[in-house]
Amino acid sequence: MEQELIELDGSIGEGGGQILRSALSLSVITGRPFRLRRIRANRAKPGLMRQHLTCVQAAAQISAADVTGAELQSSELRFVPKTLVAGAHHFAIGTAGSTMLVVQTLLPMLLAAPGESRITVEGGTHNMMAPSSCFLNRVFLPQLRRIGADVELVVEREGLFPAGGGRIVLKVRPSKLKPVELSERGALRGIGAEALLAAVPEHVGLREITAVADHFRLRREQVRHRDLGHQTGPGNVLSVWAEFEHVCELVTVHGERRVAAEQVAERACTELDTYLSSAAVAGEYLADQMLLPLWLSGEGGYRCGEPSSHTLTNLDTLGRFGGPSIECRKLAEGVHEIATTRPEVSSRA
Amino acid sequence: MKRKVAIGFLGTQLDMGSGPGRWEKWRPTVCLGQQEEFSADRIDLLVDSRRFKGLTRTVVDDLRQTSPATQVVIHDTYLADPWDFECVYSALFDFARSYSFDTEQEDYFIHISTGTHVAQICWFLLAESRFVPAKLLQTSPPPKQRRDTTGSVSVIDLDLARYDQIAQRFSNAAQATAEFLKSGINTQSAAFNRMIEQIERVAMRSRAPMLLMGPTGAGKSQLARNIFELKKQRQDLKGRFVEVNCATLRGDGAGSALFGHVRGAFTGAQNDRVGLLKSADGGMLFLDEIGELGLDEQAMLLRAIEDKRFPPLGGDRETQSDFQLIAGTNRDLSEASRDGRFRDDLFARLNLWTFHLPGLKERAEDIEPNLDFELDRHARINHERVRFNLEARSRFLRFATSAEALWPGNFRDLGASITRMATLSDSGRITVDVVDEEIARLRRAWGDGSRPSMGNEVDLAKLLGAEAETLDRFDAVQLTEVVRVCRQSRTLSEAGRILFQASREIKRSSNDADRLRKYLARFGLSFERIGA
Repeated sequence: MEQELIELDGSIGEGGGQILRSALSLSVITGRPFRLRRIRANRAKPGLMRQHLTCVQAAAQISAADVTGAELQSSELRFVPKTLVAGAHHFAIGTAGSTMLVVQTLLPMLLAAPGESRITVEGGTHNMMAPSSCFLNRVFLPQLRRIGADVELVVEREGLFPAGGGRIVLKVRPSKLKPVELSERGALRGIGAEALLAAVPEHVGLREITAVADHFRLRREQVRHRDLGHQTGPGNVLSVWAEFEHVCELVTVHGERRVAAEQVAERACTELDTYLSSAAVAGEYLADQMLLPLWLSGEGGYRCGEPSSHTLTNLDTLGRFGGPSIECRKLAEGVHEIATTRPEVSSRA
Repeated sequence: MKRKVAIGFLGTQLDMGSGPGRWEKWRPTVCLGQQEEFSADRIDLLVDSRRFKGLTRTVVDDLRQTSPATQVVIHDTYLADPWDFECVYSALFDFARSYSFDTEQEDYFIHISTGTHVAQICWFLLAESRFVPAKLLQTSPPPKQRRDTTGSVSVIDLDLARYDQIAQRFSNAAQATAEFLKSGINTQSAAFNRMIEQIERVAMRSRAPMLLMGPTGAGKSQLARNIFELKKQRQDLKGRFVEVNCATLRGDGAGSALFGHVRGAFTGAQNDRVGLLKSADGGMLFLDEIGELGLDEQAMLLRAIEDKRFPPLGGDRETQSDFQLIAGTNRDLSEASRDGRFRDDLFARLNLWTFHLPGLKERAEDIEPNLDFELDRHARINHERVRFNLEARSRFLRFATSAEALWPGNFRDLGASITRMATLSDSGRITVDVVDEEIARLRRAWGDGSRPSMGNEVDLAKLLGAEAETLDRFDAVQLTEVVRVCRQSRTLSEAGRILFQASREIKRSSNDADRLRKYLARFGLSFERIGA
């Protein structure tokens, strides 16, 4: 049966790419086709970029979709999903795409798939412009598991920009999600740090984690460094995280030439401190990524800081595909709640 | 969606790099696989495999890692001297010849950022001449302070009209040229402007003969002269502009005037004479009223155009002359060639670029710009600026653009009329009185044949002769109206459209022109004969 096309405008808000990824997930889950026009219209390089295109192609493969306009610099995309094909899929996307953005796009639909899936993605795992595999494994996936999702992300090999060469396996079993309840962090369980090094002298990593340990007064066993070998180098990534009873926040800083290891560490610490001193429960990126799971579960909510324009655009996109109505409310200065609205509330409104 | 294929040399300097450090260096070929806005489905890499085996392997592996979907094909290419033009061009030419371009399925991009400068030049020549149906692809390194090494790509399309700024310059230049061809007259008629654009394009690209058709005074001679000046400006013609009206070349003198003669060719030929064709060598010959040329002269002219050689009268040594020919005519040459009055082979030769210059009546919207043009010209010649009074101007224009004003001599008539008024004006003002006198004068001059009051009376007796007497009044009324419409129309088709408009609207009639032609034929008339 021909379903009505959902029309989306890719020029609104900030998240041209975010609208696209959410729309792909939602379209496959609901089976409703969409057309996205004016893709990234106000950008210096408008239209679909490679990192977006890889997501479109992956979603199309998984849903046997009819797609028009799936080419670089295309300003209009029409996506008509057919059936969700669970099972094993393999995507080699290289480094101009981002494996994590592909994972982010596919994960929600696979939770709603008829069977178990195993997705292999080859390419970059740590890219300045996208969340890292460390972030997914420490922050996002634990939240999904809290609400009953059966997901596992195995990083077989890290791939740093620009060489890439990483490989991850995502395993998802269809799961019925429980309501999202994330209104407090709970007790701090610990702070940790990891420096990844590829064809970069070991002392760089040691200096980074030492600086983090000094800043947060950590013990030696709470921080570590790991050599990724020469294949994906040269590159250096420092992740620092704070794990609470109910939530975790992780920041990633990429080392650069002519920037001292200590400075890299300081940037990471400052960023994490900002979260720690705020009243937010879900960090900025988690708040953004939890929108789709919240929509899928149909009930609940979570607290976060000032929502980014990404998050707000994302919220609009969700609304276009029906489902539960989700609102972002300001609770106090610097504290917002993103939650489904209860029926009696919406009938009053 | 077409597949994108990049073709280029392996950069033996720029693509060089080994060990992890290579990722910190900008490598043009590898960066083809790292772009956000460009991705190649295939890269055809020209490599001297014997010398650069190791480098090739590294680049191919790195491309596979950064862009797994890109297929890399190695073409073993040996260049004895990559800085030698002949050597590189031949190698690339052979490569292009043996490459099966499938432009239906694939878009090609020549990557010009690798290879020697000579290679770039050769790629450019091959792409520009369409031996290689590709756009050029340039990769550039990132700015120094940026930390990534992927740089950027840009596609260079050799179709210059696609670039807004360049296209703007072209259109400015084209407009200036068109202005020139129109002698600076600000023509409002869209059809006329379109024709001028076409003439300009033809004049710039071709030296083939042109045929200017149009009634007397429509400006054929002026246009021919302007085309000549334009070509001369562009260094396309170096010789002179030679103009002759064939109606003045009658009898024996015609051949001699055109082709020259040798001493003693005929009685009275006391000296050699260089003909007009020779005088126009390297320049332009404008033969007005070419339909008046005798058949013998037509044959010789054809030969002169085709061979650029001809024998002068009485001589056996051929004269050489390479000139651009523009012919003018107010007669229908196709009809003349059907009747045997004009050689059809010459007509075919002239008919390649035929332009119809409309008469003034068909360019009513141009009367006002021409009025100003004529006043300017008068001022230039007589060093005296003459202006119309406001009321006088509008009164003259009202008359000049009315159906009553026939302008049989076209722009020449208009020019003459304005010259008269300018001459008769007092202290540089053309008053209503002067205009009224002039209108009366014109009416008198055009008076016979058509009543000045209507300007569209039809005298069937004049058209049909004695036969008019035999027409039923019923038919006479109908025919009168048909003839009147024909005379007001430019073409048979236009007249057909007007006459059969009602049935057109309900799509009953498919060919109005044919219907009209058949109707006229019943009375032994044709559109041309009516004298529309």
